[in-house]
Amino acid sequence: MDGGKFFGAFRASSGITDAVVLNHVPVGCNWGAAIFKTTSNQFDMRHACTVMHEREIVFGGEDALREALIRADELYDTPILLVIAGDAPSIIGDDVGAVVNSVTLDAEVMWMEAAGFKGSMRDGYEEALTHLAGLMNESDMIENSVNLIGFSPDDFKVDADVKEIKRLLRDAGVEVNSVISKCSLEQFKKAPAAELNVVLGQGSKLAEHMKIEFGVPYLEMEYPYGLEGTTQLTSAISEELGTGHEPEFDIEPFKKVYLYLHELYGTPVSIIGDFHAEAMANFLNWELGFNVEVSARNVDDYFEFEEGVRNSNTTILFGSSFEQNIARTLDIPLIRFCYPVFDNVCVYDDAPYAGFRGAVCLTEAIINTVMSYG
Amino acid sequence: MRKFCVYGKGGIGKSTIVSNIAAALAENGETIMVMGCDPKSDMTRNLVGKRLPTVLDLFRTEGPDRMKLDDVVFKGFNGVHCIEAGGPEPGVGCAGRGVITAVDMLDRIGVFDDIKPDTVIYDVLGDVVCGGFAMPLRQGLADDVYIVTTCDPMAIYAANNICKCIKRFADRGAVTLGGIIYNGRSVVDEPSIIDGFAARLGTKVLGRVPMSILIPRAELHRKTVIEYVPDSEIADTFRYLATAICENEDRVMPDPLSDDELDGINEEIEVLLREREETGSNLTGDV
Repeated sequence: MDGGKFFGAFRASSGITDAVVLNHVPVGCNWGAAIFKTTSNQFDMRHACTVMHEREIVFGGEDALREALIRADELYDTPILLVIAGDAPSIIGDDVGAVVNSVTLDAEVMWMEAAGFKGSMRDGYEEALTHLAGLMNESDMIENSVNLIGFSPDDFKVDADVKEIKRLLRDAGVEVNSVISKCSLEQFKKAPAAELNVVLGQGSKLAEHMKIEFGVPYLEMEYPYGLEGTTQLTSAISEELGTGHEPEFDIEPFKKVYLYLHELYGTPVSIIGDFHAEAMANFLNWELGFNVEVSARNVDDYFEFEEGVRNSNTTILFGSSFEQNIARTLDIPLIRFCYPVFDNVCVYDDAPYAGFRGAVCLTEAIINTVMSYG
Repeated sequence: MRKFCVYGKGGIGKSTIVSNIAAALAENGETIMVMGCDPKSDMTRNLVGKRLPTVLDLFRTEGPDRMKLDDVVFKGFNGVHCIEAGGPEPGVGCAGRGVITAVDMLDRIGVFDDIKPDTVIYDVLGDVVCGGFAMPLRQGLADDVYIVTTCDPMAIYAANNICKCIKRFADRGAVTLGGIIYNGRSVVDEPSIIDGFAARLGTKVLGRVPMSILIPRAELHRKTVIEYVPDSEIADTFRYLATAICENEDRVMPDPLSDDELDGINEEIEVLLREREETGSNLTGDV
C-alpha cells in the first residue's frame, strides 16, 4: 500500500513549517492528507483545499483554484503558498501554472503537479523536495554542520526522533543546520550552508541536486534505530566531517530488563513499512535477537505480506495503523512505528524511537506490549 | 418505452437526423424526448428554434439541488421534449464526465417518471473519446444504437470505432447495434460501399438520407424539414427512417473491421474518386 505521488508531495511540502499547502484536489484526498498529519498536532492545520466537486471536474477547476489562492492568501499569514495539483486536475488538464501566474498575492507561490497515479509516495516526496530546492540560496558554509534529509512532519515520533538525533550529533560536535522536511522556509532556504547532507532513508534526489547546485556532499544512511544503527550514523558523520568523535552508549537501562529480554530472545516477529522498516528489522534482529519472519516494504505486494504473516509464527507485528486488521485477525499485538499512524498519538518529544534513547523507549514499548497483551 | 442512441463522427449529420426523426415520430401523437449529449448543444435548435439552456449550465449556476424539470426540459415542434446535456467550454474540464453528470441529474429530477416518454432518442458525440461518451451504451439508457456515416474514410473509421465500443460492453448485457444510417452528403456518394461495410459488421443500412438542399434551407430557418417542408420527399425520407428504427427488431452485436479491412474500403473509395474525377462527373451525385 502506498499513498501515491500526491501524498508524497504533500508530506514534503507541509514539512516547510510556516508554509501553507493548497491542495488542488477533491475533498477526499485533502481529508486523507489532513487526517494523517494532524493526529499528533491538532493545531497544525496549515493547509487549504480547492475542494473540487463534480462541477469543477466537468467545467475545469481553474476558477476554483484562482479563488482558493486569493482566499488562502487573505486567511493565512504565510511567506509561501505551495500548490499541489493532484489526480483530478491532472486528468482534466487544468492549467495550474497559468492560474498561479494570473494572480498577484502577498505570499510567494510555488506549484507542483503530483497526480497520485503518476508515481509512488516516494516519487512524490523526492520530486517535491527537488522542486522546492529552487527556493534555496547559496550560503556561506557552516563548519561541522549537517542537514538531515528524509523526514516528514507526519512521521510517527518525528519530533522526539529529531530532538534525539540533534542531541547525539551535538555531543559529537556536529550542529544540525536544517531538517528536511521539517523546518521553516528560512531554514530550508539556507540548507546549502551545511557542510554535509545526511539522507536518512529518502530524499537522495534532493541531496544529489544540492551536490550539483551547491557542492554539498552527502551520505546515505539507514534510519538510526538501536545502538548499532545510531553508532553507525554518528560515526559516519564524524568521520566524514573529521570531528574525531568516538560514540559512547549507555547500556544501563537495558540491564534493568535483561531477564525479560532474555525471555523474548528468538521471538518471531514480522514487519512492514516504508524505508524505516529495514532499519527497524535490523534492530529487532541484531540487537533484541528476534526472528524476523516476514519483512516487507509498503511498495511490495500487500496480499503476499499478509499471506506470509499468516503462514508464519509471527507473535508481534511492527507496522503502521493500516496493520490493525491483520493484527486483530491473528490476535497478535501491533507496534506502530511508521507512517501512517492515526490511531495513536505521540505528543511527548522526549520519548523517541530513534537514537540511544529511542532504543530504550522501543525496548520498553515492546516489553510492555508483550506483558500487557491478552 | 423505446430508447435508442444515434452516434456518428462529429459533423456527420446526427443532429439533423435525430431532430427530424423526433419531429416525424411526434406527428403520430407519441410522447417523444430527445437529449443532445454533445457539448456543442445545438441538436435541439431545429426543434425549438433557439439554443436551449443546458442541464450542465443549470448544474453550474444553480447547483444540483435547485434544478427543476421545467428548467431543463423544453417543448419543441410537435411537442417533442427537448433536453441538452451541455458541457464545458472547449479546452477545459471534462466533457465526458459532463455526459455522466447530466444523465445523473435528469434521473435525480425524475425526468423519465414525469414525462413518461414513448420514445427517447440520445444524440451522442460519436468519436467515443472517453468513457463518458460511452455512458449511454453502458447503463441501460438505450436499447440499441444507430450509427450515422457518410461514404468518407474518416466517418467509416469513426463508425467502426463505435462498433468496437458496443462490442466491448457486449458481455455486460448492454446495448446492441440496430443498424447504419447512410448520409449521402459524402465525398463520393456510393451507397453500395456502406452496404458492404454494414454487411461486414453484421448489420444493415436502415435508411439513406440523400443530399438535399432543403435540409440546409430548413436549418437556416432553425427548423426540421418535417416542419419546414412537410410535404417534401426528404421529409418522407425521415418519416420512413423513423418508422424503420422504431419497428426494427434486427439487433446485432457488431463484428468490427480490422485496420486492413478498413484500408480495403479506403481503396475502393479512392478508386471511385479517381474514376469520377477523370470522367468529370458530379462526385456527390445529383442534388
